[in-house]
Amino acid sequence: MVKLEFEHRQAGHCESGVTRNLLNYHHFKISEPMAFGIGAGLFFSYLPFLKMQHAPTTSFRVWPGQVFDRATKELGVKTAVHTFRNPKDSMDKLNAVLDQGYPVGLQVGTFHLPFFPPEYRMHYNMHNMIAYGHDNGTYYISDTLMENLVEINYEDLMRVRFAKGAFAPQGRMYYPTFVPKDIDIKPAIIKGIRKTANNMVGIPFPLIGAKGIRYLAGRMRKWEKNLGPEKASYYLGQVLRMEEEVGTAGAGFRFIYGAFLEEASTALNQPWLKELSIEMGETANKWREFSYLGSRNCKKRGKADQSYNFLADMLIEIAGREEKIFRKLAKIK
Amino acid sequence: MEENPNPVYKDQRYGQSKELLYSYDADGQFHKNVGFHGEPDRIILQQAWDHFDERIADARQRVLAGKASPIVYYMEKFLADPLNLSMMAGISIWRVKWHLRPGAFKRLNEKTLKKYADAFNITVAQLKKVE
Repeated sequence: MVKLEFEHRQAGHCESGVTRNLLNYHHFKISEPMAFGIGAGLFFSYLPFLKMQHAPTTSFRVWPGQVFDRATKELGVKTAVHTFRNPKDSMDKLNAVLDQGYPVGLQVGTFHLPFFPPEYRMHYNMHNMIAYGHDNGTYYISDTLMENLVEINYEDLMRVRFAKGAFAPQGRMYYPTFVPKDIDIKPAIIKGIRKTANNMVGIPFPLIGAKGIRYLAGRMRKWEKNLGPEKASYYLGQVLRMEEEVGTAGAGFRFIYGAFLEEASTALNQPWLKELSIEMGETANKWREFSYLGSRNCKKRGKADQSYNFLADMLIEIAGREEKIFRKLAKIK
Repeated sequence: MEENPNPVYKDQRYGQSKELLYSYDADGQFHKNVGFHGEPDRIILQQAWDHFDERIADARQRVLAGKASPIVYYMEKFLADPLNLSMMAGISIWRVKWHLRPGAFKRLNEKTLKKYADAFNITVAQLKKVE
């Protein structure tokens, strides 16, 4: 039996929260926005050909696993990552690593997760949580979404670690093995900002970044005519769910990113980043307003409260603001 | 962002957990707060569950009327779509789509039925009839 002294802290986003909690355990103090920013977690993509829950996929974040991978790489932290074919092997390996005294990050599917809030129980295989101990088939779990520490039994944990479907976790587990004593976070911050700026304005593909937001706006204008009011409101609801629902900390990660820019400006001693963080905060509030007005369309069963043209205009404005911010950020030195 | 759990949801179990949310306020600072989701978030979540419930009820009627195979009902109940189901059961998506017809379902062998039953976490006997 093992139960490590693990400090549980709630976080807005599961993966950057896990990254922060794991690094904190190894005595490297870093905040959640910092982990998110260095890991270059901010993104936007609209994929109409990929349907999720019967509506097009909108994503406000990068590929799962990238925040942890990038953040630890840029900080010079050595990590171990494993995926498995055989569920039994994965559990044995988990026990062995816990016995060595490392808390372990796990990628799991949420559908069968027993302690998960029932309103979020959908097929979503990109959730992250930390195991920090085990005792005779019971595992002690710190899930950054939950207020308190939780427990899970052997069978349930095995099932969620081997959830099937899109982005199947395949028992993915990861943990830092060596954290250097003195870490200079300045180059890591600059690299993280550059990567995010490139993701948002540097990729010449219409469905990604600021261009993607404009594309979504263009599609949104046609929804009511092409799909009928009921389906249009469901599509809009899907965009808003991806933006506001569990694990984004509000406004599709824009609040976290603004907080990151604020911290970065003190860490790098570059005051112009502080101004951009204010602009980011205002843009985030715009997103929030968009979801507030948009949600009214979802309430009345298809009867549009705000016209889709009006909402699309809001998106165009947001896209312009974000493009401006990231064009400036791309020039960071 | 609110202090109390709110009964907007039709299901009593929903909306009982507190979450950490960030905000940017008029004082020009970013804040972290722990609380319950605000009303817009609850509306859009409720919309998703209404949508699922409707699809499940519709699928059940079609199955009972003999217009669709029981797999349709269990698939909707499991919040899956054919693509998802094909990954979970390990059957190609074209075959899954074919098996959604009642005639094709009747001719399925035990082995394939077992695959579907395992994916839904039920027995083959349960899979064959819809309550």
